[in-house]
Amino acid sequence: MLARLAENLFWAGRYVERAEDTARMVDVTYHTLLESPASEVGGSWAQLLDVLHLRTAYGQRPLAPAEVLAFLVLDRDNTGSITSSIVRARENARSVRELISSELWESVNDLHLDLGSRDLRRELTDQPYELFKTIRRACLTIYGVASETMPRDDGWRFMALGRVLERAEMTCRLIDIRYQHLEDLAGPSRRLVGANAERPRGADRTDFHHWIAVLKSASAFEAYRRRYRSSMDPADVVEFLLLEPDLPRSVVFCLSSAMHQLQVLSRGRPSRAVRALGRVTASLQYRDVGELFDLGLHDFLDTVQARVADVAEAVADEFFRHHPVGSMHAIATA
Amino acid sequence: MTQSRSHASPHLSQQPRPMGLFADYDVGGDRFFDEVFGTDGSTREHYRVLVDRLRSLTPQDLDRRQAIRDRIFRTQGITFTVYDGGERDEGIERTFPMDLLPRIIPADEWTHIEAGVAQRVTALNRFLEDLYMGEQAAVNDRVVPRWLVHTADGFRREAFGIPVPHAARCLVSGVDLVRDVDGVYRVLEDNLRNPSGISYVLENRAAMTRVLPLVFSRQRVRPVDHYGPMLLRALREVAPPAAGEHPTAVVLTPGIYNSAYFEHAFLARQMGIELVEGRDLVVDEHVVYMRTTRGLERVDVIYRRIDDDFLDPVVFRPDSALGVPGLLSAARAGNVTIANALGNGVADDKAVYAFVPDLIRYYLGEDPVLPNVDTYLLWEADQRAAVLDRLDELVVKPVAASGGYGMLIGPHADDEELARFRTRIEADPRAYIAQEVVSLSRHPTLVDHSFEGRHVDLRPFAISGESVEVIPGGLTRVALRRGSLVVNSSQGGGSKDTWVLDGHATGDG
Repeated sequence: MLARLAENLFWAGRYVERAEDTARMVDVTYHTLLESPASEVGGSWAQLLDVLHLRTAYGQRPLAPAEVLAFLVLDRDNTGSITSSIVRARENARSVRELISSELWESVNDLHLDLGSRDLRRELTDQPYELFKTIRRACLTIYGVASETMPRDDGWRFMALGRVLERAEMTCRLIDIRYQHLEDLAGPSRRLVGANAERPRGADRTDFHHWIAVLKSASAFEAYRRRYRSSMDPADVVEFLLLEPDLPRSVVFCLSSAMHQLQVLSRGRPSRAVRALGRVTASLQYRDVGELFDLGLHDFLDTVQARVADVAEAVADEFFRHHPVGSMHAIATA
Repeated sequence: MTQSRSHASPHLSQQPRPMGLFADYDVGGDRFFDEVFGTDGSTREHYRVLVDRLRSLTPQDLDRRQAIRDRIFRTQGITFTVYDGGERDEGIERTFPMDLLPRIIPADEWTHIEAGVAQRVTALNRFLEDLYMGEQAAVNDRVVPRWLVHTADGFRREAFGIPVPHAARCLVSGVDLVRDVDGVYRVLEDNLRNPSGISYVLENRAAMTRVLPLVFSRQRVRPVDHYGPMLLRALREVAPPAAGEHPTAVVLTPGIYNSAYFEHAFLARQMGIELVEGRDLVVDEHVVYMRTTRGLERVDVIYRRIDDDFLDPVVFRPDSALGVPGLLSAARAGNVTIANALGNGVADDKAVYAFVPDLIRYYLGEDPVLPNVDTYLLWEADQRAAVLDRLDELVVKPVAASGGYGMLIGPHADDEELARFRTRIEADPRAYIAQEVVSLSRHPTLVDHSFEGRHVDLRPFAISGESVEVIPGGLTRVALRRGSLVVNSSQGGGSKDTWVLDGHATGDG
């Protein structure tokens, strides 16, 4: 297929996922803060901006909920906002209309039109939960429609690849928001969890509530309950969201799904992208979660995100970049 | 039924005009030809089934159906883009308004139109081939003045020697027809470069079958959805002989901000071929390739929707990023076919238009089936003088423009505008033509809960491959403003689904 269109599909997948995950993260932050002391509020929003790598873009604006929400949800100048992500997802989908099913195009376009016709500013004040739910549900509809109407051709695979790579990064960020908060509360000297934890496993009651929110925002709460049955424990939650091979939003799940798509797309050739992805998957797969805490979870999550970004870069080099004319005979006959 | 009487025959029945929705409808008397009603108010026979059906509907029913149609078009993003030079310069996407009441053409009338369009396109293909690949016989024999050809905006010396198999230089053409006060179909202009609108023909039909299914089930309307396969077949027929049995064809678009982007994507989808932009293509050793995820793939035929001047920055505008460097060299080497062919604009120049009936006689030895609108050539001193004398009664058009821009409609113009055009004509008589005003036929159109007469034209589409074929129907454009004669979509026009009835069916069979 055309390299440009493959790239557009890859990014359409990424942008829809980014919109959905941003909605999830904003939702969890907003709602846990409703039950937090006022003194924590600014810091928590700042953490969210950090985790999303948007602190610089946010600048010196006050860290009040209304401001941050508007920035993360509505701001067209913020390329990471939900609105921007949806506009770009739609633009990418529009430029590949002849490749995707018309049902898929319509569901992307519907979301765009729907958001355009609502008074988002008011909804963010009155009913942010409803709004986030609408966005998440619309994104799930888009995946569902794609999954049920698209043939499993290369175009589909590039879109799916973009989605799971984005999701892997975003799940790391989701964990990181909560974890950083936990660390802040405890202070730097105290080791909270891990192989050599000083304190007994199990978080205190407030924190309990926050980890539930994290699980819920990854649609993983019920699954977690069935899997662990025990009380809420940060280490278990992190293990579940990072390493659980059967959970659709876990990082390991996303990476192995990416590996599957990439191997088909590479037609079995050992490529740089496959190798990069193999490395990051291996760094997770055989890890014990306690070890990760000992290493420093925040740094580890950062490393995983950076490696996933390397994979995306390798995919772009291999499939999307325009090859110079000089090298093209080799490519054409390869 | 013979062809000669068919196109002007009113097809009147004895049915009284229905009340209700049409109660206040003005049929226009003898000022206009009304497509649905005779001057006495009786319904033309081929509209009876439809009008009977509408009689049972209330204005609310119509509104509801119109709303369904609007939603279909909006959610599917069936839009064109209008630029108003706003801040973001992304243009505004508008849906193309489609009126609920279709235009209906009876079988015998269609036979006449089809023959006329095919004849015209055949002659125009011959003319272009003669001009760019042949001996320029028509020019040498003075059927068309040589200077006129060489001064046409669309004439391209760069097109000399670029072959097109079967001389199908106008792979897709749109011939704009209007109906005069006697109901006679006349050719208003030819569109031989990148005529657009076929996607609306197909989408209008798809929407109408959902909005008014009952009317469809009661009469036989000829289908239009074979357009995609037909176009693809023609594209493959014009592939260079060396391309082999499975030539690769692509649609070349300027990109998503082009006003007709929807159509480009639509056509690529209908044909199941790649929609490429200039940056997706590369030329090496006079061969065109597209950049794919698995390397470069050879391209044999390009259905381009980019104007001549932007196709190849090596030959034309060096600042254009839309085209492909080296594309013309590949075409000249016979390694790729560009459709529509380069330089077609010379034949849809509005001054050359005046000579098309002569070209038909010259190349085909036949009389034109469809007459032109009476046209005056302004470089001829006597014609110019006569035109300037009665400028306020005529239409003046720039020869190279399209989209209805830069026209003078004499009867609607004020003194200042008339004076401006007088000066322009005297300064550059080659740049304009003058035509008698045609009182375009009118068709009932839904305006604020009731039907009013609005002027319409008809753009049938012809496809040239090994032979010339015409899609039954075409795009009926509607001037939505009361009294306006300008139907172009860029000027706020709308459209109607256009039905050609199957000759073998009767009214309510």
